[in-house]
Amino acid sequence: MATPRFLLPPEGKIAPRLTALLVPGFLALLAAGGGAAWVTRQNQVHTRAVVHTYEVEKAVLEVRRVIEEAEATRRGALLAPATAAYREGYHRATAELPQRLVTLARLTADNPRQRDNLAGLQLQLGALAQRRAETMALVERGDQRAALAAFRADTEASSMRAVRFLMNRMAREERRLLAIRDRELRVTERAFYAVLVLAAVLLAALAVVALLTVLAYTRDLARSRDATQSLADSLEEMVAERTEDLTRANEEIQRFAYIVSHDLRSPLVNVMGFTAELEAATGQLGALVDTVEAEAPQLLSEEARLSAREDLPEAIGFIRASTQKMDRLINAILQLSRQGRRQLAAERIDVAQLVGQIRDTLAHRLADVEATLDVAGTLPEVISDRFSLDQVFSNLIENAVKYLRPGVPGRITVSGRREAQRVIYAIADNGRGIDPRDHARVFDLFRRSGAQDRPGEGIGLATVRALVFRLGGTISVESNLGQGATFTLSLPLTLESQRPEGQGKNE
Amino acid sequence: MNAHQSVGIVMIEDDEGHARLIEKNIRRAGILNEIRHFTDGTSALDYIFNDPVGPALSGPALILLDLNLPDMSGTDILTRIKNSDGPVKRTPVVVLTTTDDSREIQRCYDLGANVYITKPVNYESFAQAIRQLGLFLSVIQVPDLDGAN
Repeated sequence: MATPRFLLPPEGKIAPRLTALLVPGFLALLAAGGGAAWVTRQNQVHTRAVVHTYEVEKAVLEVRRVIEEAEATRRGALLAPATAAYREGYHRATAELPQRLVTLARLTADNPRQRDNLAGLQLQLGALAQRRAETMALVERGDQRAALAAFRADTEASSMRAVRFLMNRMAREERRLLAIRDRELRVTERAFYAVLVLAAVLLAALAVVALLTVLAYTRDLARSRDATQSLADSLEEMVAERTEDLTRANEEIQRFAYIVSHDLRSPLVNVMGFTAELEAATGQLGALVDTVEAEAPQLLSEEARLSAREDLPEAIGFIRASTQKMDRLINAILQLSRQGRRQLAAERIDVAQLVGQIRDTLAHRLADVEATLDVAGTLPEVISDRFSLDQVFSNLIENAVKYLRPGVPGRITVSGRREAQRVIYAIADNGRGIDPRDHARVFDLFRRSGAQDRPGEGIGLATVRALVFRLGGTISVESNLGQGATFTLSLPLTLESQRPEGQGKNE
Repeated sequence: MNAHQSVGIVMIEDDEGHARLIEKNIRRAGILNEIRHFTDGTSALDYIFNDPVGPALSGPALILLDLNLPDMSGTDILTRIKNSDGPVKRTPVVVLTTTDDSREIQRCYDLGANVYITKPVNYESFAQAIRQLGLFLSVIQVPDLDGAN
């Protein structure tokens, strides 16, 4: 037969492999998320920087506006000293300037270049403010000519141009910073997109690998399932084959026992037959010896007389006893073999009724030995082979009757109970009991235990055990010498029907 | 046996001892017919069907048949006898064997055996059975060969 292939499923550690794939996947996702957060933060920083730049620009423009306004109103005052509005405008602008400058200084405090620019601007503004103040003082005194002269000198000193130049520079500086930050942002965004793409690629790759792993694992699982299936199938086949082998071997043994016992009978017929003939002849011979002894004693030797009267009958007696015993043994084997070949027929059996029938059969013997046979409680019914069960109970009860303790009234009790799918029956007696050393032996064919003072060949319990095994049950004994014996039968509640082909071959 | 003292007894028995014991006991029952003994099936069948003095060609007979033979099964011989065309098939066949299996007994009767006797191992019973068979043989009618034709 084909040797089954023990295809075990591959060392299926799918979980670690999937974990190994999932962890990088999650890390990639985290990286992408982190990148996004970082880029968002960078964006915020940049936005703040842009706002800041605009604020600085605005502040620069404000400062510039205030300076220009002061300049314009100063010029207005120079041209039309009588108009108070110019002077008021000038003073208002001049008063506004320091506050604007403070704002600008605050906004540009973080930038050394702007600070330098601002310092330069303040220097220029200081000089400018002083000259303006002088000019305005002259105007207010009504000295328009001197004021104009001072204004002209101012123009030559060109403080105003320097101021304008510085202001432009400050604005440019902010623009430059904004451009730098723009670039930085673009770099950041590119990095972010790169991270995103990388993470996406990584995730896609991991997804593919994970999918392949799962597919491979599923394929392995399917393969190992098929392998298990075929293994189970081949196991079933093996069991069927073994069962068939066993059945065949069992049949062979049965047949062997039958043939052996059967063929042994044939010579035994001769042995017994001719022994009987011999006995008859010995009778004739004995009669002759008697006659000779009476009529011609001198012809009779002592040996001849002993042979005819003692040796021959003795020898024949032993031959007879032995052949008779042999006949019983052969019959026992034949009987066992026959029971093994019998077709079992399962039917519902009222065991209490069965025991009642046995009690009726044994009524005389029970009365002779003053023994009683009782059923304790109710006995569970069983679905089994009636003939076999009757043999089992008969043998056990007859044994109990046979081996009572002298002088003790025998009490034989049959009890029973159901345990799940089995029924347990116990046949207990108060007889002579069995030595625990012999408990296994008593079930063997031709083996007996205790005092050999009762007829028997040691067949009963062997038959009982063979029958019980055939019924799918077990039998055990609990006993001690002088303390009675309890035989416990365990039978399946329902006898499984047999395969019919194992029966009735080659009689 | 019946009026014709020529009815021969054909004994097919491989065990010489059994044959001797059977013959002794048949004689003790007062049966004096000729007994032809064969220890194997082939020569017995040859005698029954082909011998000039055998049952098929000569006269009525009675067959004592053992089932356990060295060359063929007794049931084969029984089948041959009972399935033959000639008068031989009406020849009474007494199966005399050690087998007491009910299936085997049934089979022999199905095949046409007239009587089935189990040889008891106990000699007293054995002798008794053979003597009774002898008594039985002395009263049964064996079909006449001529009448059959």
